[in-house]
Amino acid sequence: MDPPPEQVNYICGDCGMENTLKPGDVIQCRECGYRILYKKRTRRIVQYEAR
Amino acid sequence: MDGGMSYQRFPKVKIREMKDDMVKFELRETDASVANALRRVMIAEVPTVAIDLVEIEVNSSVLNDEFIAHRLGLIPLTSDRAMSMRFSRDCDACDGDGQCEFCSVEFHLRAKCLTDQTLDVTSKDLYSSDHTVVPVEFSDPNDAGEQRGIIIVKLRRGQELRLRAIARKGIGKDHAKWSPAATVTFMYEPMIRINEDLMETMSLEEKRTWIESSPTKVFDIDPVTQQVVVVEPELYTYDDEVIKKADAMGKSGLVEIEAKEDSFIFTVESTGAIKASQLVLNAIEILKQKLDAVRLSDDTVEADDQFGELGAHLRGG
Repeated sequence: MDPPPEQVNYICGDCGMENTLKPGDVIQCRECGYRILYKKRTRRIVQYEAR
Repeated sequence: MDGGMSYQRFPKVKIREMKDDMVKFELRETDASVANALRRVMIAEVPTVAIDLVEIEVNSSVLNDEFIAHRLGLIPLTSDRAMSMRFSRDCDACDGDGQCEFCSVEFHLRAKCLTDQTLDVTSKDLYSSDHTVVPVEFSDPNDAGEQRGIIIVKLRRGQELRLRAIARKGIGKDHAKWSPAATVTFMYEPMIRINEDLMETMSLEEKRTWIESSPTKVFDIDPVTQQVVVVEPELYTYDDEVIKKADAMGKSGLVEIEAKEDSFIFTVESTGAIKASQLVLNAIEILKQKLDAVRLSDDTVEADDQFGELGAHLRGG
């Protein structure tokens, strides 16, 4: 089976607070109620062709 | 050649000027096709090493990952070993993963800005796993002494860049980043003949205006004899200006200019990946390999692995 849904961290577009969202959660900052959240960059290594 | 006429010629090369990054030479007693083949091989088929794969760990700079990967690819690396290296696609030792000593070189870059001053991340921050393959060093002729690297990205306080890059052997035909040539040009040597009888019919003033009509300083007046002389035939750009001027002055046929069909003057500039002189030699070597492939092709159709590296070279293109 699929592994349990991972928690993903987002950054509030207004206050900069880090938020943790699960699937189905309302997209809203817990601190200030702002509705624009930015996903953080992956911690994994990403590969590119230098072309 | 069994009794038939041979078209074989024996070209002559005369070197005029030779610096690390530039050579000028004359190529004589051959055809334009050969001169152009040599030029094209220098640009597109002489191998070098360049960054081809970038694995980014951290990038909080203002440039996005693919932008930085592209910039890394364009940095010229010293490629004196490239001729004897393998293309990673036909490297047996590493199964083409591009991480073995025969076909690739690994680089690491770690930079983080900790001060309020902007940090320049340059090609000097790239650490190579092989001391023979490193980013080329530039010295500014106006500002001798200090050597600055090639700027990859600038970081402000708190920004960081951490990555691993793999450089591979390649040719300019696959991607221009592998081209060792900055510019390669050749020109036909001009033959300039002045009709002295017709020239004698002109006054000094007329001669002056005619000389002035040339955009480059090809002609001048001999201060002693006051005759028009050719001072620098190679400055002629085949612009026909002096011919038009002679016609306009009613002196048609004053000068005859033709391009010598079998003499070429080459100017070769290198990116620094290999010396310009080595670039010419490598190009001749590759041209010879290509000609061997053509010569052998009739009876070796069934065994094209005999072509070795060149076969791969031709198929890859």
